[in-house]
Amino acid sequence: MRKYWEISKTYMKAQLVWRADVIFNMIFTISKILFAYLLWGTVFQDKEMVGTFTFHGMLSYYVVSSFLSQLEMSEGISSEIHDRLRNGTFSKYLVIPAGIERYFMAMELGVVLFYLIFDFAAAAVWVFVFRIRFVFAGEWQVIACALVMTVLGMVFMVQLNYFLGILTLRFEGIGTFLMIKNNLVSLVTGSIVPLALFPEFVVSILRLLPFYYVTYLPAMLLTGKCGEEAVRGIVIIGCWCVLMQLVIRAAWKKYFTAYDGAGI
Amino acid sequence: MSKKNWRVLRELFWLRFHGLTVFRFDFFAPFFVDGSLFLIQLLAFGAIYSNVDTIGSWGRGGMILYIGTFSLLNAVNMTVYFFGVTSIPHKVRSGELDLYLTKPVSPLFRLTFERISPGSVPLIVMSVCMISYGTASLDMTLSAARTVSYLFWLMLMEILYYEMEVIIRSVSLYVVSMARMEQLEEAGIDLCMKLPGIALYGVYKVIFYLLLPYGIMATLPVQRMIGEMSLRGALYGIGVVALFTVITYEVWKQGLKHYNSASS
Repeated sequence: MRKYWEISKTYMKAQLVWRADVIFNMIFTISKILFAYLLWGTVFQDKEMVGTFTFHGMLSYYVVSSFLSQLEMSEGISSEIHDRLRNGTFSKYLVIPAGIERYFMAMELGVVLFYLIFDFAAAAVWVFVFRIRFVFAGEWQVIACALVMTVLGMVFMVQLNYFLGILTLRFEGIGTFLMIKNNLVSLVTGSIVPLALFPEFVVSILRLLPFYYVTYLPAMLLTGKCGEEAVRGIVIIGCWCVLMQLVIRAAWKKYFTAYDGAGI
Repeated sequence: MSKKNWRVLRELFWLRFHGLTVFRFDFFAPFFVDGSLFLIQLLAFGAIYSNVDTIGSWGRGGMILYIGTFSLLNAVNMTVYFFGVTSIPHKVRSGELDLYLTKPVSPLFRLTFERISPGSVPLIVMSVCMISYGTASLDMTLSAARTVSYLFWLMLMEILYYEMEVIIRSVSLYVVSMARMEQLEEAGIDLCMKLPGIALYGVYKVIFYLLLPYGIMATLPVQRMIGEMSLRGALYGIGVVALFTVITYEVWKQGLKHYNSASS
């Protein structure tokens, strides 16, 4: 475990090199909050409630959802694997005395831990700037479930991006597919609109998918909603993590023989 | 446009077409990526409109028309000039712009049209379908005069879209790194493609109607189509396009004077 913690620490320190990136990442978190503030500000002019949301409840959801989706930074893993497989430099990961997938997990942990404090500060600033009467869950059990679910959601996203990266060995170019995936993920994780606004049958289908538990349900739990789904959510996302791991192993075994270290 | 420029344009198109058809999936990549993006917008606003009747003064039809209009502006951008204009910073940094300055054709003209993307044409078709669906949902009589003036505003806003893209890329002629400008552009477009100008007010209106006028790009054509455009709004729109035409011309012209070949 110690070597992986060292990897995390290295990536944490590496973020300090890109200080301007950190500041601009913080500033650009405003775009989602501003979108929610202006759009829902217009909608709530004529209404008290939309679905189960009040205006401040809705904005609280967007603040938490934006904070969580900002923290989820694993999408770079698939492009890193894709680029390195194509130009032949993926061998770097084969000679490092660490499991490749665990290396990426540790890398993600380092980056997340570094950004955690900055993204939290940014969220607090936007709550203050937009004068949001923040709605937060009252029960510690629900908060604990949301935190566990967030961690499992991040693990799942690392696994997913790792798996998509491996698919380079099968499809050669996956850049277009990754962009389409990012568009879809923004919808099904509830980053654009809360999933609760979709018809019930759509939500029932989404509940079976892992993306529901990556940012949407943790954000709902932390803003005091959907408490009854907390434990079930942890079980489902946990199962998805196990399933994804099996898929990764099978894909690795099947496709990695194609890697010759010379690029595609 | 002179006869010589037409010939250059035709040659640039065929050169690009032959290059693109080498990678067939990548040929349609802009269609798949941007098509999924705008379909997701439709789904997201479908979810919102299943809970509210109007956003500001616009009902579901107005919003579909808005998304379709923004999609069409983006589709023409992707088809005609996006890949050419976005290559400017790289060409400045590498000194490749030298080649463009020595050719007997306007450098900006060649840069604009040399990377036409025929694979994005289906995006135009998809956008037209969205616009037709939006106008059908509005249940209004579509007169020839209204259609022509909508097309006029579309053309005007496409020019503005192009000018904004050129201004932002021309910054690379003055400074070493312009990644933040591109991030700013991305954030502005991302916000305004989801948020119609009618939801903007105060300082937000100043920002997105004047400083980064992405907020008027799809709003004004839609307002014209649904008969909400005032004379003041029309004059303002024409004034903004005229202002940005002058700015683009000056920024590009002065920028070329700053250009010092590969050392830029």
